[in-house]
Amino acid sequence: MLVADFLYNSAASYPEKEFLVWRGQRFTYGFMMQKVDALAAGLVVEGLAAGDRVGLCMGNSPEYVLAYFAALNAGAVVVPVSDQTNSRGIANILNDCQASLLFIDHTVLSSILEVVSEIPSLRRVIVVRKGSSTEKEAEEWIGRFPVEHPGFLDLGQVLKESKGKAVPHSTHEQDLAMILYTSGTTGSPKGVMLTNRNLVVNAESIVQSLRLTSNERTMVVLPFYYSYGNSLLTTHAKVGGCLLIERNFVYPNLVLEGMVREDATGFAGVPSTFAILLNRSDIRKYAFPKLRCVTQAGGAMSPKHAQELAQILPRADIFIMYGQTEASPRLTCLDSPDLLRKPGSIGRSIPGVRITVRGEDGTPCATKEVGEIVAEGDNIMKGYWGDPEETARVLRDDGLHTGDMAWMDEAGYLYIVGRKSQMIKSGGHRISPKEIEETILEIPEVHEVAVVGVEDEILGESITAFVVPKGPCVIESQIVQKHCMERLSIYQVPRKVIFLDELPKTATGKVKKHELL
Amino acid sequence: MVDIEKEIRDFIVDNFLFGNREKLPDDDDSFLQKGFIDSTGILEVVNFIEEKYGIRVEDDELLPENLDSVRCLTNFIVRKRGVRV
Repeated sequence: MLVADFLYNSAASYPEKEFLVWRGQRFTYGFMMQKVDALAAGLVVEGLAAGDRVGLCMGNSPEYVLAYFAALNAGAVVVPVSDQTNSRGIANILNDCQASLLFIDHTVLSSILEVVSEIPSLRRVIVVRKGSSTEKEAEEWIGRFPVEHPGFLDLGQVLKESKGKAVPHSTHEQDLAMILYTSGTTGSPKGVMLTNRNLVVNAESIVQSLRLTSNERTMVVLPFYYSYGNSLLTTHAKVGGCLLIERNFVYPNLVLEGMVREDATGFAGVPSTFAILLNRSDIRKYAFPKLRCVTQAGGAMSPKHAQELAQILPRADIFIMYGQTEASPRLTCLDSPDLLRKPGSIGRSIPGVRITVRGEDGTPCATKEVGEIVAEGDNIMKGYWGDPEETARVLRDDGLHTGDMAWMDEAGYLYIVGRKSQMIKSGGHRISPKEIEETILEIPEVHEVAVVGVEDEILGESITAFVVPKGPCVIESQIVQKHCMERLSIYQVPRKVIFLDELPKTATGKVKKHELL
Repeated sequence: MVDIEKEIRDFIVDNFLFGNREKLPDDDDSFLQKGFIDSTGILEVVNFIEEKYGIRVEDDELLPENLDSVRCLTNFIVRKRGVRV
């Protein structure tokens, strides 16, 4: 079974059933399958070969789904890139994985134009406009994009000129399907290599844990380019469910109205999504008679939020899930009946996953003893792209070392207490303080810097930079933030910059970050 | 009204563009489409106008027609202050 087979099978079983709803437009499984075949054939004509890396720098849209399955169908490896990434970040990722083709939203086209000459592996850039996948709108767009840059094409044009079905590639279960870039402890993002097998078994396991069926109509506000959003895509394609696509969660009331209008049966969010829903939305004024499955990942749900949500949505099952990109991504699930019975837990391992909590020396911890979460299963990544050292550090004989510290109760329920590394988790993003520190140190007036995550009611953690300037010179916090904004993604920009005369340090000179909190 | 527009522009430049006035959108440009305000950013905007103009933004007023551009925000603040008086 391959990831692409999810769509094939559902299209065969439910050709007339809605797969995607986007801004009032409805896309059936049959329609999407036809477009995926056409685009895959077009990609092969453009020279795409099995195993080639294909970047997807796009927000949520039917075109993202189309490009995703077409690339997989052609035997390529999908490399999602956040559309919030700046040009330098895009170039770094595409160069690291040696991408040969890129799909990019026209809204962020300028980002790639700045750096395209620095990415020698990139042979084709396919520009995606809203509506590129529907024939009427595609017709309107064809020819409008001035192809002034060699190798740049319009998605509508590729679709129109493509004929017939894609040439089938001999892709196997153990072949790579995706490389998902995630912040690393060493600073630069690491490419998590996920095989078809990894993604397929994890999707099957999630479907079982959440009891998903072809009746699902799930509101998606999480970006597909993250592992959580990606799992919504794969699981729903597997069961023949429908995704109600939103591009963001800036106006929560509009999302809630969309859920009512479309009879949503599911909703997925990270802790900040639910904090916003409970604290700054009209959720209490709406009724969601069809809502059955609400999931949160990216952190445990506070007992207060769990109680409130259970009261507001008495008919819905609320699941808390835990995982990481390296696990394709799910490892555990707290089933709805346990939400109030096991407050603060991230649940038990899902089918096919074995979890142990281990001490520093690698031996399993006793019940309720804190140690590192170590996971085994067919969903665990193949490794980090081009980084055998980092791969060997986390993938050991006993499984994937997650870096998350937790304890397990006698019934196997896990409770996270912190992280081994100093990664910051903010609004669902996993952020490397080191990457931000290295960026701030580029400012000539900066002597030293320490970046930490400070507890935040909505975001979970917000980024604060403690900066020691060189000598008596004066720098403003805005200079630091502007420098970061120009070089990092917007969610990596420190919300606060605090200037200190010196950083607290241990006798050996290591910064005592806990004293900064 | 002119003052409110200027104060909103200054807030946007200071908090979302970190002083880079060149990137300031036109008064009718959608913050959402320009991509520099996310779900938590919009709450910062709400906190700012609540504190600065002494108004209360109700949850059912968290809508693009009230908040999604300099012009929308200005009109919303003027309207709210009028109602309050």
